[in-house]
Amino acid sequence: MTSFEHIARAIVAGALYGMVATTVAAAQNAPPGDAANGKRLYLADGCFTCHGRSGQGGAYNGPAPILAKTALPFEGFKMQIRNPVNDMPAYSDAILSDRDIADIYAFVQSLSGRRSPKDIAVLNN
Amino acid sequence: MPERRIADSSRRNFLRAAGLAGAAAAVAPPAATAFPAAPQEISKAALPGPLQTAVEALSPSSDPVNQGSSGGDFMAEVLNALGIEYMAINCASSYRGLHEAIVNHTNNRPEIITCVHEDIAVHMAQGYAKIEGKPMAMACHGVVGLQHATMAMYNAWCDRVPVLVFGGNIMEADKRAPGAEWLHAGVDIGQIVREFTKWDDQPASLTHFAESTVRAYKIATTPPMGPVFIALDAELQENPIADAESLRIPKFAPVVPPQGDAGAIAEAAKMLVEAQNPIIVCDRVARTPAGMANLVALAEALQCGVIDNAGRMNFPSRHPLNQSFRRALIGQADVILAIEMNDLWGTLTHFSDRIVRRSRPGTKPGAKVITLGVRDLYLKSNYQDFGRWQDVDLDIAGDGEASLPALTEAVKRLTDDAKSSAFEARGKKLAAAHLAMVEQSKSDATIGWDASPITTARMCAEVYNQIKNEDWSVVGTTIRLSWPHRLWDFNKPYQWNGSSGGAGVGYNLPASIGAALANKKHGRFTLAFGGDGDFMFNPGALWTAAHHQIPILYVIQNNRAYHQEYMYLVAMAARHGRDVTKMDIGTTLKDPNIDYATVARGMGAYGEGPITDPQDLAPALTRAIAAVKSGRPAVVDVVTDPR
Repeated sequence: MTSFEHIARAIVAGALYGMVATTVAAAQNAPPGDAANGKRLYLADGCFTCHGRSGQGGAYNGPAPILAKTALPFEGFKMQIRNPVNDMPAYSDAILSDRDIADIYAFVQSLSGRRSPKDIAVLNN
Repeated sequence: MPERRIADSSRRNFLRAAGLAGAAAAVAPPAATAFPAAPQEISKAALPGPLQTAVEALSPSSDPVNQGSSGGDFMAEVLNALGIEYMAINCASSYRGLHEAIVNHTNNRPEIITCVHEDIAVHMAQGYAKIEGKPMAMACHGVVGLQHATMAMYNAWCDRVPVLVFGGNIMEADKRAPGAEWLHAGVDIGQIVREFTKWDDQPASLTHFAESTVRAYKIATTPPMGPVFIALDAELQENPIADAESLRIPKFAPVVPPQGDAGAIAEAAKMLVEAQNPIIVCDRVARTPAGMANLVALAEALQCGVIDNAGRMNFPSRHPLNQSFRRALIGQADVILAIEMNDLWGTLTHFSDRIVRRSRPGTKPGAKVITLGVRDLYLKSNYQDFGRWQDVDLDIAGDGEASLPALTEAVKRLTDDAKSSAFEARGKKLAAAHLAMVEQSKSDATIGWDASPITTARMCAEVYNQIKNEDWSVVGTTIRLSWPHRLWDFNKPYQWNGSSGGAGVGYNLPASIGAALANKKHGRFTLAFGGDGDFMFNPGALWTAAHHQIPILYVIQNNRAYHQEYMYLVAMAARHGRDVTKMDIGTTLKDPNIDYATVARGMGAYGEGPITDPQDLAPALTRAIAAVKSGRPAVVDVVTDPR
């Protein structure tokens, strides 16, 4: 499989994970979290390596979806971390506690997310 | 190319040189008196010892000291007869005869491209061939230099790119000087590269050299293409030509690539026309400028989607039928046409890199698979680049590009009005999905737009904004960097040339410079993205670009890591429930950070960076582009997020 193909698959998955529903509904049912600590964990524990420091998504072997303001509800987010689909590594509670995951969730919800491409001239070539 | 003997002028050169040598011998004083007389008194110097005195008292040798021709002259003419424009080299005594002959006898034709490592030289040839559509040569020491060259040769092999590699050797043991010449000689020096070359030989005469070099060129350029190797005997290069009149340069006629069997093409057309959701997947279809047009014609005849793995410039990025970022279509297809695929099984399968490495088909049950290509016509055993077995329903041995017009015509013949209407409706849906994908890509690119480190999306968007009106050609990329194909308008055959082939690190910088060498005479603006890890394998390639005035804009995606490995280590630690916070050990390039702009300047190139603030990127690119337009290589070091 070419790297080009990997990234294409990642884009599809990113669309599924990141763009389906409104993020407001997803975040409403989440436990309270410390976004600052979530950012620290996100950077220290390697989340950023695949998903980007801004939660813009990326690629590992396959899907590394957009996480900024993810539409996944917290339970789905946690399930993906504990028992992920595809090749994402599983983070057991020996690495991330439920509280840590809540903090990370709070962090990705705090990210600025998308803007309108029409407002960015160089994206309209 | 017509059959020819050594060109008359060259034969005259041989004869004239021989005559001059003879004339010189007739009038020259004895060799002993040809040297300046020794001073009568040597003050403040040691007196000559008994050995030196004995040597000076010896009679002159009867061995000849001049020659009028050499085998290297003839070899250089063979290379020129084949139309080889360049020979990338790292100079070495084992082919000094050919080297000197190229410089003097054929007036630096092929033009010598000086490289500081054999890996650079072969990779340059790989990049060049994919733009120019023909091979260039590379020469090295046949033992130690060839060992340096092997990784690049493997990349060229996996990428199915023709490269002519020459390696010096001294076949006759009694002709080897003590020391290095024994260390640098071998009985069968081609053995080390035989598993990833299409053919090799060690000619024992000049006639043998000529026939083997023309044969090598023919084999290398016949699809499936690949590198070839010729061992150059030093005596053959350096010694006078015994009988110039007997030498001839063989006639070369390129092989017409084979089309698929007419019956099989008709069967494929029938399957495609009858299908509800056909799809085309491809990788290395376009080997000439006609390839992209041929594929567009077939896709438009069927109004079906094309998923391009981008091994070559196969399909325009903004064509409405380009569905390369909608891989789910593979799972919906009832007929899949796979053209010149490199890894078909991997494309049609979901594979998980987990503790248990499972796979499942990515195709729907009953889907028919048609393959068209020549890749499997030449395989070797040891290295496993052929990939896993894929079941297919119709396997057509034929060159993809050459077979496409016949397949397209067969499709058109089978398309009645009802089919035509259905195809049109299908095409409209695909076009709408394509536009949605483009809009989604633009939206995705906005996330983290002002962040530092800079996102790869912004890096690519800023570059395109400044080069979009040039006659540009992108000839290098980094691992998993898809933004150019998502955001840019690729529509010319030379605007993309694929990647390394073998995923051997160190390809990107020298191969991009080789491609830039090919683009230079066409006046194109060459640019490439490259990773920082890859850059450090062959930074000396920049010196070659500066020395030979090869303009290229090289944008380093500097994530300060071998990032794919970084991610793998995080996964390994997570699998064990162990510490994931130390995975930068052995995977990152920091402490100290490498200053690539300074490295570039040290090589004679223009350097900008490190750029950490996205606001600084556009002005830096403007300055670097101005340097490129002045004929220089320019590096812009962009500190980016990992992916």
